[in-house]
Amino acid sequence: MIEILNKGMMTCVVDSGRYGYAAIGVPPSAALDKFAYNVLNCLLNQDENAPALEIIGAGFSIKFHQDMICAITGARVRASLDERSLSPWASFAAEAGSILTVHEVTEGFRYYLGFTGKLSLPRVIGCYATNLECSFGGYQGRSLKGGDQIEINDIYSVPLGIVPDKEIPEMKSPHFLRITDGPEHSFFTEKSQKTFADRESRTEYTVSVNSNRTGIRLTGDQLSFCDGVKESIISEGILPGTIQIPGDGLPIIMLYERTIGGYARIARVVRADLDRLAHLIPEDQVIFGRIEMDEAERLWEERRARLKSFL
Amino acid sequence: MTTSTNPFKMTISRFGEDGIRVLFGNDIDLSVHEKVRNFYFYMKSLDLPEVIDYTPSFRSCLIHFNTERTNFARLSSLIEEKEEEALRPGNTPESTLQEIPVHYGGPEALDMKNVCEQTGLSERDVIAIHSDIIYTVYTVGFTPGFPYLGTLDQRIQVPRLETPRTKIAAGSVGIAQGQTGVYPFPSPAGWRIIGHTDVRFFNYEKEPYSLLRIGDKVKFISI
Repeated sequence: MIEILNKGMMTCVVDSGRYGYAAIGVPPSAALDKFAYNVLNCLLNQDENAPALEIIGAGFSIKFHQDMICAITGARVRASLDERSLSPWASFAAEAGSILTVHEVTEGFRYYLGFTGKLSLPRVIGCYATNLECSFGGYQGRSLKGGDQIEINDIYSVPLGIVPDKEIPEMKSPHFLRITDGPEHSFFTEKSQKTFADRESRTEYTVSVNSNRTGIRLTGDQLSFCDGVKESIISEGILPGTIQIPGDGLPIIMLYERTIGGYARIARVVRADLDRLAHLIPEDQVIFGRIEMDEAERLWEERRARLKSFL
Repeated sequence: MTTSTNPFKMTISRFGEDGIRVLFGNDIDLSVHEKVRNFYFYMKSLDLPEVIDYTPSFRSCLIHFNTERTNFARLSSLIEEKEEEALRPGNTPESTLQEIPVHYGGPEALDMKNVCEQTGLSERDVIAIHSDIIYTVYTVGFTPGFPYLGTLDQRIQVPRLETPRTKIAAGSVGIAQGQTGVYPFPSPAGWRIIGHTDVRFFNYEKEPYSLLRIGDKVKFISI
Protein backbone atom coordinates (compact mmCIF):
# COMPACT_ATOMS: atom_id res chain seq x y z
CA MET A 1 0.00 0.00 0.00
CA ILE A 2 1.04 3.59 -0.59
CA GLU A 3 -0.39 6.54 1.31
CA ILE A 4 -0.51 10.10 0.04
CA LEU A 5 0.79 12.46 2.73
CA ASN A 6 0.81 15.58 0.56
CA LYS A 7 -0.66 15.91 -2.92
CA GLY A 8 1.65 18.72 -4.05
CA MET A 9 -0.26 21.13 -6.29
CA MET A 10 -2.21 18.34 -7.99
CA THR A 11 -1.83 14.58 -8.39
CA CYS A 12 -3.92 12.25 -10.53
CA VAL A 13 -3.79 8.72 -11.92
CA VAL A 14 -2.97 8.53 -15.63
CA ASP A 15 -2.22 5.91 -18.25
CA SER A 16 -1.65 5.85 -22.01
CA GLY A 17 -5.19 7.06 -22.67
CA ARG A 18 -8.78 6.06 -23.27
CA TYR A 19 -9.19 5.55 -27.02
CA GLY A 20 -11.96 4.13 -29.17
CA TYR A 21 -14.86 6.17 -27.79
CA ALA A 22 -14.42 9.56 -29.47
CA ALA A 23 -17.74 9.08 -31.29
CA ILE A 24 -19.55 9.39 -27.95
CA GLY A 25 -17.32 12.23 -26.79
CA VAL A 26 -14.99 10.31 -24.48
CA PRO A 27 -11.53 11.95 -24.57
CA PRO A 28 -8.21 10.12 -23.98
CA SER A 29 -7.33 11.86 -20.64
CA ALA A 30 -3.85 10.42 -21.25
CA ALA A 31 -0.55 11.16 -19.51
CA LEU A 32 0.51 14.49 -21.01
CA ASP A 33 4.22 13.69 -21.30
CA LYS A 34 3.92 10.33 -23.05
CA PHE A 35 7.68 10.00 -23.47
CA ALA A 36 8.31 10.38 -19.73
CA TYR A 37 5.40 8.02 -18.99
CA ASN A 38 6.74 5.39 -21.42
CA VAL A 39 10.28 5.64 -20.03
CA LEU A 40 8.84 5.30 -16.51
CA ASN A 41 7.21 2.01 -17.51
CA CYS A 42 10.47 0.87 -19.14
CA LEU A 43 12.46 1.59 -15.97
CA LEU A 44 9.92 -0.45 -13.98
CA ASN A 45 9.42 -3.16 -16.59
CA GLN A 46 5.70 -2.31 -16.40
CA ASP A 47 2.87 -2.78 -18.93
CA GLU A 48 2.73 0.02 -21.46
CA ASN A 49 -0.71 1.00 -20.13
CA ALA A 50 0.05 0.68 -16.42
CA PRO A 51 -1.45 3.33 -14.13
CA ALA A 52 1.02 5.91 -12.80
CA LEU A 53 0.74 9.17 -10.88
CA GLU A 54 1.03 12.48 -12.73
CA ILE A 55 2.04 15.18 -10.28
CA ILE A 56 2.36 18.96 -10.40
CA GLY A 57 4.28 21.03 -7.89
CA ALA A 58 6.63 20.70 -4.93
CA GLY A 59 5.59 19.37 -1.55
CA PHE A 60 4.30 16.04 -2.86
CA SER A 61 4.93 13.28 -0.38
CA ILE A 62 3.95 9.62 0.00
CA LYS A 63 4.59 6.88 2.51
CA PHE A 64 5.33 3.30 1.47
CA HIS A 65 3.75 0.54 3.52
CA GLN A 66 5.51 -2.26 1.61
CA ASP A 67 8.92 -2.73 -0.01
CA MET A 68 8.82 -1.96 -3.73
CA ILE A 69 10.74 -0.31 -6.52
CA CYS A 70 9.63 3.06 -7.86
CA ALA A 71 10.75 5.49 -10.50
CA ILE A 72 10.28 9.18 -11.24
CA THR A 73 10.45 10.74 -14.72
CA GLY A 74 9.10 13.91 -16.34
CA ALA A 75 9.88 17.28 -14.76
CA ARG A 76 13.25 17.36 -13.00
CA VAL A 77 12.69 17.35 -9.26
CA ARG A 78 14.82 17.56 -6.13
CA ALA A 79 13.44 14.65 -4.13
CA SER A 80 14.44 12.47 -1.25
CA LEU A 81 13.53 9.08 0.18
CA ASP A 82 13.82 9.71 3.92
CA GLU A 83 17.30 11.29 4.13
CA ARG A 84 18.62 9.95 0.83
CA SER A 85 18.42 12.24 -2.21
CA LEU A 86 17.16 10.78 -5.48
CA SER A 87 18.35 11.20 -9.06
CA PRO A 88 15.92 12.40 -11.72
CA TRP A 89 14.66 9.85 -14.27
CA ALA A 90 15.76 6.85 -12.22
CA SER A 91 14.31 3.93 -10.30
CA PHE A 92 14.97 3.41 -6.60
CA ALA A 93 14.11 0.89 -3.90
CA ALA A 94 11.65 2.07 -1.24
CA GLU A 95 11.37 0.11 2.00
CA ALA A 96 8.17 -0.24 4.02
CA GLY A 97 7.86 2.81 6.27
CA SER A 98 9.99 5.11 4.11
CA ILE A 99 8.71 8.49 2.93
CA LEU A 100 9.28 10.05 -0.48
CA THR A 101 9.22 13.84 -0.56
CA VAL A 102 9.57 16.19 -3.51
CA HIS A 103 11.20 19.42 -2.33
CA GLU A 104 11.46 21.37 -5.55
CA VAL A 105 10.67 21.15 -9.25
CA THR A 106 13.76 22.47 -10.99
CA GLU A 107 12.80 22.09 -14.66
CA GLY A 108 9.48 21.29 -16.33
CA PHE A 109 6.01 21.05 -14.81
CA ARG A 110 4.54 17.54 -14.58
CA TYR A 111 6.39 14.54 -13.19
CA TYR A 112 5.47 10.87 -13.11
CA LEU A 113 5.76 8.31 -10.33
CA GLY A 114 5.31 4.59 -10.93
CA PHE A 115 5.63 1.38 -8.92
CA THR A 116 6.62 -2.26 -9.48
CA GLY A 117 3.24 -3.73 -8.66
CA LYS A 118 -0.39 -3.70 -9.61
CA LEU A 119 -2.26 -0.67 -8.31
CA SER A 120 -5.62 -1.81 -7.06
CA LEU A 121 -7.76 0.53 -9.16
CA PRO A 122 -10.72 -0.32 -11.39
CA ARG A 123 -10.58 0.14 -15.14
CA VAL A 124 -13.29 2.52 -16.28
CA ILE A 125 -14.22 2.35 -19.98
CA GLY A 126 -11.17 0.14 -20.38
CA CYS A 127 -8.70 2.50 -18.74
CA TYR A 128 -7.11 3.81 -15.56
CA ALA A 129 -6.81 7.43 -16.71
CA THR A 130 -8.73 10.01 -14.65
CA ASN A 131 -11.34 12.11 -16.42
CA LEU A 132 -11.28 14.92 -13.85
CA GLU A 133 -14.04 16.99 -15.43
CA CYS A 134 -16.52 14.11 -15.50
CA SER A 135 -15.28 12.44 -12.30
CA PHE A 136 -14.59 8.94 -13.58
CA GLY A 137 -11.54 6.70 -13.87
CA GLY A 138 -8.33 6.87 -11.85
CA TYR A 139 -8.81 7.01 -8.09
CA GLN A 140 -12.55 7.47 -7.46
CA GLY A 141 -12.72 9.79 -10.44
CA ARG A 142 -10.80 12.56 -8.69
CA SER A 143 -7.34 13.92 -8.02
CA LEU A 144 -5.58 12.48 -4.98
CA LYS A 145 -5.40 14.18 -1.61
CA GLY A 146 -3.61 13.66 1.67
CA GLY A 147 -4.73 10.49 3.43
CA ASP A 148 -5.68 8.58 0.27
CA GLN A 149 -4.37 5.03 0.19
CA ILE A 150 -3.84 2.77 -2.80
CA GLU A 151 -3.29 -0.97 -2.39
CA ILE A 152 -0.47 -2.40 -4.46
CA ASN A 153 -0.51 -6.12 -5.25
CA ASP A 154 1.78 -8.57 -7.06
CA ILE A 155 4.91 -6.57 -6.25
CA TYR A 156 7.89 -7.70 -8.31
CA SER A 157 11.52 -6.72 -8.51
CA VAL A 158 13.58 -5.18 -11.31
CA PRO A 159 17.23 -4.10 -11.50
CA LEU A 160 17.59 -0.39 -10.72
CA GLY A 161 18.11 1.85 -13.71
CA ILE A 162 18.90 5.46 -14.49
CA VAL A 163 18.46 7.52 -17.63
CA PRO A 164 21.72 9.30 -18.56
CA ASP A 165 21.38 13.04 -18.01
CA LYS A 166 21.93 13.88 -21.66
CA GLU A 167 18.95 11.68 -22.61
CA ILE A 168 16.52 13.68 -20.47
CA PRO A 169 14.51 15.97 -22.76
CA GLU A 170 14.72 19.73 -22.31
CA MET A 171 11.63 21.10 -20.60
CA LYS A 172 12.38 24.75 -19.88
CA SER A 173 11.07 27.99 -21.37
CA PRO A 174 11.22 29.18 -24.12
CA HIS A 175 9.37 26.24 -25.63
CA PHE A 176 9.87 25.84 -29.35
CA LEU A 177 6.85 23.99 -30.76
CA ARG A 178 6.78 22.81 -34.33
CA ILE A 179 3.43 22.76 -36.10
CA THR A 180 1.76 21.62 -39.33
CA ASP A 181 -1.15 23.45 -40.97
CA GLY A 182 -4.65 22.77 -39.67
CA PRO A 183 -7.87 22.65 -41.72
CA GLU A 184 -8.64 26.37 -41.18
CA HIS A 185 -5.17 27.90 -41.47
CA SER A 186 -6.30 29.86 -44.53
CA PHE A 187 -8.94 31.62 -42.39
CA PHE A 188 -6.15 33.92 -41.17
CA THR A 189 -4.51 36.80 -42.96
CA GLU A 190 -1.15 36.15 -44.54
CA LYS A 191 0.39 38.60 -42.12
CA SER A 192 -1.08 36.73 -39.13
CA GLN A 193 0.09 33.38 -40.47
CA LYS A 194 3.60 34.83 -40.73
CA THR A 195 3.73 36.39 -37.28
CA PHE A 196 2.28 33.18 -35.87
CA ALA A 197 4.88 30.70 -37.03
CA ASP A 198 7.20 31.89 -39.82
CA ARG A 199 10.90 31.72 -39.07
CA GLU A 200 11.55 35.33 -40.12
CA SER A 201 8.71 37.17 -38.45
CA ARG A 202 7.19 35.06 -35.68
CA THR A 203 6.42 36.45 -32.28
CA GLU A 204 6.58 34.92 -28.84
CA TYR A 205 3.48 33.92 -26.93
CA THR A 206 3.12 33.70 -23.16
CA VAL A 207 1.39 30.83 -21.36
CA SER A 208 -1.69 32.20 -19.58
CA VAL A 209 -2.62 31.43 -15.98
CA ASN A 210 -6.01 30.34 -17.38
CA SER A 211 -4.45 27.16 -18.76
CA ASN A 212 -5.48 23.75 -17.45
CA ARG A 213 -5.45 20.06 -18.31
CA THR A 214 -7.96 20.69 -21.12
CA GLY A 215 -6.12 23.43 -22.94
CA ILE A 216 -3.19 25.81 -22.80
CA ARG A 217 -4.22 29.40 -23.40
CA LEU A 218 -1.64 31.81 -24.78
CA THR A 219 -1.43 35.57 -24.77
CA GLY A 220 0.47 37.71 -27.26
CA ASP A 221 -0.13 38.85 -30.82
CA GLN A 222 -3.81 38.46 -31.74
CA LEU A 223 -4.33 36.66 -35.05
CA SER A 224 -6.58 38.38 -37.58
CA PHE A 225 -9.27 36.52 -39.47
CA CYS A 226 -9.56 37.26 -43.19
CA ASP A 227 -12.50 39.45 -44.21
CA GLY A 228 -15.77 37.56 -44.48
CA VAL A 229 -14.58 34.50 -42.59
CA LYS A 230 -16.83 33.22 -39.80
CA GLU A 231 -14.98 33.17 -36.51
CA SER A 232 -16.60 30.03 -35.16
CA ILE A 233 -16.74 26.93 -37.33
CA ILE A 234 -19.32 24.15 -37.40
CA SER A 235 -18.06 22.00 -34.51
CA GLU A 236 -15.74 19.27 -35.70
CA GLY A 237 -13.31 16.63 -34.48
CA ILE A 238 -9.97 17.62 -32.99
CA LEU A 239 -6.88 15.64 -31.96
CA PRO A 240 -4.33 16.32 -29.21
CA GLY A 241 -2.16 19.32 -30.01
CA THR A 242 -4.80 21.05 -32.12
CA ILE A 243 -4.35 24.83 -31.95
CA GLN A 244 -7.70 26.65 -32.03
CA ILE A 245 -8.17 30.38 -32.50
CA PRO A 246 -11.35 31.78 -30.93
CA GLY A 247 -12.80 35.18 -31.77
CA ASP A 248 -10.31 37.04 -29.58
CA GLY A 249 -7.47 35.85 -31.86
CA LEU A 250 -5.46 34.21 -29.07
CA PRO A 251 -4.35 30.59 -29.52
CA ILE A 252 -5.52 27.70 -27.35
CA ILE A 253 -3.55 24.45 -27.56
CA MET A 254 -5.94 21.57 -26.90
CA LEU A 255 -4.59 18.64 -24.88
CA TYR A 256 -6.22 15.24 -24.23
CA GLU A 257 -9.64 16.23 -22.83
CA ARG A 258 -11.78 17.18 -25.84
CA THR A 259 -12.92 15.32 -28.96
CA ILE A 260 -14.71 18.22 -30.67
CA GLY A 261 -13.95 21.90 -31.06
CA GLY A 262 -15.84 24.86 -32.47
CA TYR A 263 -13.02 27.27 -33.23
CA ALA A 264 -10.80 27.59 -36.29
CA ARG A 265 -8.03 25.00 -36.20
CA ILE A 266 -5.04 26.91 -37.48
CA ALA A 267 -2.49 24.17 -36.84
CA ARG A 268 -1.51 21.06 -34.95
CA VAL A 269 1.58 20.70 -32.80
CA VAL A 270 3.70 17.91 -34.31
CA ARG A 271 3.58 14.60 -32.45
CA ALA A 272 7.26 14.77 -31.54
CA ASP A 273 6.57 17.98 -29.58
CA LEU A 274 3.35 16.91 -27.82
CA ASP A 275 5.29 15.71 -24.74
CA ARG A 276 6.61 19.22 -24.28
CA LEU A 277 3.06 20.53 -23.77
CA ALA A 278 3.08 18.86 -20.33
CA HIS A 279 5.71 21.35 -19.23
CA LEU A 280 4.23 24.69 -20.26
CA ILE A 281 3.97 26.73 -17.06
CA PRO A 282 2.05 30.02 -16.78
CA GLU A 283 4.36 32.89 -17.83
CA ASP A 284 6.59 30.58 -19.95
CA GLN A 285 7.38 31.69 -23.50
CA VAL A 286 6.22 29.71 -26.55
CA ILE A 287 7.50 30.04 -30.11
CA PHE A 288 5.82 28.23 -33.00
CA GLY A 289 7.61 26.99 -36.10
CA ARG A 290 5.69 25.82 -39.15
CA ILE A 291 7.18 22.74 -40.80
CA GLU A 292 6.20 20.36 -43.58
CA MET A 293 4.58 17.00 -42.96
CA ASP A 294 7.58 14.92 -44.05
CA GLU A 295 9.78 16.71 -41.53
CA ALA A 296 7.16 16.15 -38.82
CA GLU A 297 7.18 12.45 -39.67
CA ARG A 298 10.97 12.35 -39.53
CA LEU A 299 10.94 14.00 -36.08
CA TRP A 300 8.44 11.41 -34.87
CA GLU A 301 10.65 8.57 -36.14
CA GLU A 302 13.55 10.12 -34.20
CA ARG A 303 11.46 10.24 -31.05
CA ARG A 304 10.41 6.61 -31.54
CA ALA A 305 14.04 5.59 -31.97
CA ARG A 306 14.99 7.45 -28.78
CA LEU A 307 12.27 5.63 -26.87
CA LYS A 308 13.24 2.28 -28.38
CA SER A 309 16.77 2.74 -27.02
CA PHE A 310 15.28 2.36 -23.52
CA LEU A 311 13.48 -0.90 -24.26
CA MET B 1 -36.04 13.68 -43.73
CA THR B 2 -34.32 15.50 -46.58
CA THR B 3 -33.53 13.20 -49.48
CA SER B 4 -32.10 15.80 -51.87
CA THR B 5 -28.85 14.70 -53.43
CA ASN B 6 -25.87 16.62 -52.25
CA PRO B 7 -23.45 17.54 -55.05
CA PHE B 8 -20.52 17.88 -52.65
CA LYS B 9 -17.76 15.40 -53.43
CA MET B 10 -16.19 13.55 -50.51
CA THR B 11 -12.87 15.26 -49.77
CA ILE B 12 -9.97 13.68 -47.92
CA SER B 13 -7.33 15.82 -46.25
CA ARG B 14 -4.67 15.36 -43.67
CA PHE B 15 -4.88 16.59 -40.10
CA GLY B 16 -1.46 16.25 -38.51
CA GLU B 17 0.68 13.13 -38.88
CA ASP B 18 -1.95 10.69 -37.61
CA GLY B 19 -5.26 12.26 -38.61
CA ILE B 20 -7.45 12.10 -41.72
CA ARG B 21 -10.39 14.42 -42.19
CA VAL B 22 -13.08 13.11 -44.51
CA LEU B 23 -15.39 15.97 -45.44
CA PHE B 24 -18.91 15.45 -46.81
CA GLY B 25 -20.29 18.99 -47.09
CA ASN B 26 -20.03 22.55 -45.91
CA ASP B 27 -23.26 23.09 -44.03
CA ILE B 28 -25.37 21.72 -41.24
CA ASP B 29 -27.73 19.67 -43.37
CA LEU B 30 -29.54 16.36 -42.96
CA SER B 31 -28.26 14.91 -46.23
CA VAL B 32 -24.64 15.70 -45.24
CA HIS B 33 -25.33 14.23 -41.81
CA GLU B 34 -26.66 11.01 -43.40
CA LYS B 35 -23.44 10.63 -45.37
CA VAL B 36 -21.29 11.15 -42.26
CA ARG B 37 -23.41 8.66 -40.37
CA ASN B 38 -23.36 6.00 -43.09
CA PHE B 39 -19.61 6.43 -43.53
CA TYR B 40 -18.89 6.23 -39.80
CA PHE B 41 -20.96 3.11 -39.14
CA TYR B 42 -19.62 1.39 -42.25
CA MET B 43 -15.96 2.15 -41.41
CA LYS B 44 -16.48 1.09 -37.82
CA SER B 45 -17.98 -2.22 -38.96
CA LEU B 46 -14.73 -3.00 -40.79
CA ASP B 47 -12.98 -3.12 -37.41
CA LEU B 48 -9.73 -1.87 -38.94
CA PRO B 49 -6.84 -2.51 -36.54
CA GLU B 50 -4.98 0.51 -37.96
CA VAL B 51 -7.70 2.94 -36.82
CA ILE B 52 -7.53 4.23 -33.25
CA ASP B 53 -10.68 6.36 -33.23
CA TYR B 54 -13.41 7.96 -35.33
CA THR B 55 -14.96 11.34 -34.55
CA PRO B 56 -18.02 11.81 -36.75
CA SER B 57 -19.56 15.28 -36.58
CA PHE B 58 -21.91 17.54 -38.57
CA ARG B 59 -20.08 17.43 -41.88
CA SER B 60 -16.97 15.33 -41.48
CA CYS B 61 -15.52 12.23 -39.96
CA LEU B 62 -12.08 12.58 -38.39
CA ILE B 63 -10.04 9.38 -38.34
CA HIS B 64 -7.19 8.97 -35.88
CA PHE B 65 -4.89 6.27 -37.21
CA ASN B 66 -1.98 4.23 -35.93
CA THR B 67 1.11 5.25 -37.92
CA GLU B 68 2.82 1.99 -37.05
CA ARG B 69 0.16 0.05 -38.92
CA THR B 70 -0.66 2.28 -41.88
CA ASN B 71 0.06 5.65 -43.43
CA PHE B 72 -1.94 8.54 -44.86
CA ALA B 73 -1.65 7.39 -48.48
CA ARG B 74 -2.67 3.82 -47.77
CA LEU B 75 -5.62 4.69 -45.56
CA SER B 76 -6.79 7.41 -47.99
CA SER B 77 -6.90 4.98 -50.89
CA LEU B 78 -8.77 2.46 -48.78
CA ILE B 79 -11.37 5.15 -47.99
CA GLU B 80 -11.68 6.12 -51.66
CA GLU B 81 -12.06 2.48 -52.62
CA LYS B 82 -14.82 2.01 -50.05
CA GLU B 83 -16.59 5.34 -50.65
CA GLU B 84 -19.50 4.03 -52.67
CA GLU B 85 -20.16 1.11 -50.36
CA ALA B 86 -19.71 3.24 -47.26
CA LEU B 87 -22.23 5.84 -48.38
CA ARG B 88 -24.88 3.34 -49.42
CA PRO B 89 -27.79 3.74 -47.00
CA GLY B 90 -28.72 0.72 -44.95
CA ASN B 91 -25.45 0.11 -43.14
CA THR B 92 -26.54 2.11 -40.17
CA PRO B 93 -28.23 0.81 -37.03
CA GLU B 94 -31.81 1.90 -36.27
CA SER B 95 -32.03 5.32 -34.66
CA THR B 96 -33.68 5.40 -31.29
CA LEU B 97 -36.15 8.09 -30.24
CA GLN B 98 -35.61 9.31 -26.68
CA GLU B 99 -38.22 11.36 -24.90
CA ILE B 100 -36.56 13.68 -22.42
CA PRO B 101 -38.66 15.26 -19.65
CA VAL B 102 -37.49 18.84 -18.99
CA HIS B 103 -38.26 21.35 -16.26
CA TYR B 104 -38.25 24.55 -18.28
CA GLY B 105 -37.78 27.88 -16.54
CA GLY B 106 -37.25 28.28 -12.82
CA PRO B 107 -34.00 29.08 -11.03
CA GLU B 108 -31.99 26.47 -12.98
CA ALA B 109 -32.91 28.01 -16.34
CA LEU B 110 -30.27 30.71 -16.04
CA ASP B 111 -31.01 32.33 -19.39
CA MET B 112 -34.75 31.83 -19.90
CA LYS B 113 -35.53 35.49 -19.13
CA ASN B 114 -32.80 36.65 -21.46
CA VAL B 115 -34.00 34.35 -24.26
CA CYS B 116 -37.53 35.71 -23.89
CA GLU B 117 -36.20 39.27 -24.05
CA GLN B 118 -34.06 38.57 -27.11
CA THR B 119 -36.79 36.77 -29.01
CA GLY B 120 -39.75 38.83 -27.83
CA LEU B 121 -41.55 35.59 -26.95
CA SER B 122 -43.20 34.56 -23.71
CA GLU B 123 -41.69 31.73 -21.66
CA ARG B 124 -44.65 29.60 -22.65
CA ASP B 125 -43.96 30.19 -26.34
CA VAL B 126 -40.25 29.38 -25.96
CA ILE B 127 -41.14 26.11 -24.22
CA ALA B 128 -43.79 25.21 -26.80
CA ILE B 129 -41.40 25.87 -29.69
CA HIS B 130 -38.43 24.08 -28.11
CA SER B 131 -40.43 20.97 -27.21
CA ASP B 132 -42.32 20.76 -30.49
CA ILE B 133 -39.56 19.39 -32.73
CA ILE B 134 -38.08 15.92 -33.04
CA TYR B 135 -34.37 16.70 -33.06
CA THR B 136 -31.56 14.76 -34.72
CA VAL B 137 -28.27 14.00 -32.94
CA TYR B 138 -25.70 15.44 -35.36
CA THR B 139 -22.75 14.53 -33.18
CA VAL B 140 -21.81 13.63 -29.62
CA GLY B 141 -18.83 15.28 -28.01
CA PHE B 142 -17.40 18.29 -26.25
CA THR B 143 -17.91 16.25 -23.09
CA PRO B 144 -18.84 12.54 -23.01
CA GLY B 145 -22.46 12.05 -24.04
CA PHE B 146 -23.17 15.70 -24.94
CA PRO B 147 -25.55 15.62 -27.94
CA TYR B 148 -25.45 18.39 -30.52
CA LEU B 149 -29.11 18.49 -31.56
CA GLY B 150 -30.61 20.25 -34.55
CA THR B 151 -32.28 22.07 -35.88
CA LEU B 152 -33.70 24.68 -33.56
CA ASP B 153 -36.69 26.68 -34.75
CA GLN B 154 -35.61 30.07 -36.19
CA ARG B 155 -37.86 31.90 -33.73
CA ILE B 156 -35.79 30.87 -30.70
CA GLN B 157 -32.32 31.07 -32.22
CA VAL B 158 -30.03 33.19 -30.02
CA PRO B 159 -26.24 33.62 -30.07
CA ARG B 160 -23.91 31.87 -27.61
CA LEU B 161 -22.95 33.74 -24.45
CA GLU B 162 -20.15 36.21 -25.08
CA THR B 163 -18.34 34.94 -22.03
CA PRO B 164 -18.98 31.26 -21.38
CA ARG B 165 -19.78 30.22 -17.81
CA THR B 166 -16.97 28.29 -16.15
CA LYS B 167 -19.36 25.74 -14.65
CA ILE B 168 -23.03 24.83 -14.98
CA ALA B 169 -25.06 21.99 -13.45
CA ALA B 170 -25.30 18.54 -15.02
CA GLY B 171 -28.61 18.14 -16.83
CA SER B 172 -28.73 21.76 -18.05
CA VAL B 173 -30.58 22.13 -21.36
CA GLY B 174 -29.01 24.79 -23.56
CA ILE B 175 -29.61 26.52 -26.88
CA ALA B 176 -27.26 28.41 -29.20
CA GLN B 177 -27.83 29.47 -32.79
CA GLY B 178 -29.46 26.55 -34.61
CA GLN B 179 -28.59 24.00 -31.96
CA THR B 180 -29.77 22.64 -28.66
CA GLY B 181 -28.19 20.14 -26.28
CA VAL B 182 -27.94 18.79 -22.77
CA TYR B 183 -24.84 19.08 -20.58
CA PRO B 184 -24.33 15.62 -19.02
CA PHE B 185 -21.64 16.83 -16.57
CA PRO B 186 -20.95 19.97 -14.57
CA SER B 187 -18.78 21.68 -17.18
CA PRO B 188 -17.99 25.03 -18.77
CA ALA B 189 -20.87 26.17 -20.97
CA GLY B 190 -21.33 28.80 -23.64
CA TRP B 191 -24.92 27.98 -24.56
CA ARG B 192 -27.97 29.66 -23.03
CA ILE B 193 -29.67 27.51 -20.41
CA ILE B 194 -33.48 27.28 -20.58
CA GLY B 195 -34.20 24.16 -18.55
CA HIS B 196 -33.04 21.15 -16.64
CA THR B 197 -33.49 17.37 -16.95
CA ASP B 198 -32.82 14.53 -14.55
CA VAL B 199 -32.19 12.06 -17.38
CA ARG B 200 -28.66 10.68 -17.30
CA PHE B 201 -26.99 11.13 -20.70
CA PHE B 202 -23.78 9.32 -19.86
CA ASN B 203 -23.10 6.40 -17.54
CA TYR B 204 -19.46 5.36 -17.38
CA GLU B 205 -20.38 2.17 -15.52
CA LYS B 206 -22.54 0.64 -18.20
CA GLU B 207 -22.12 0.05 -21.93
CA PRO B 208 -22.91 1.66 -24.33
CA TYR B 209 -22.12 4.52 -21.86
CA SER B 210 -23.82 7.23 -23.90
CA LEU B 211 -27.63 7.51 -24.06
CA LEU B 212 -27.35 8.85 -27.60
CA ARG B 213 -25.22 8.38 -30.64
CA ILE B 214 -25.05 10.09 -34.00
CA GLY B 215 -28.35 9.82 -35.86
CA ASP B 216 -30.58 9.17 -32.85
CA LYS B 217 -33.68 11.33 -32.30
CA VAL B 218 -34.73 13.38 -29.28
CA LYS B 219 -38.05 14.89 -28.25
CA PHE B 220 -38.19 17.14 -25.18
CA ILE B 221 -41.31 16.92 -23.02
CA SER B 222 -42.19 19.87 -20.79
CA ILE B 223 -42.99 18.79 -17.21
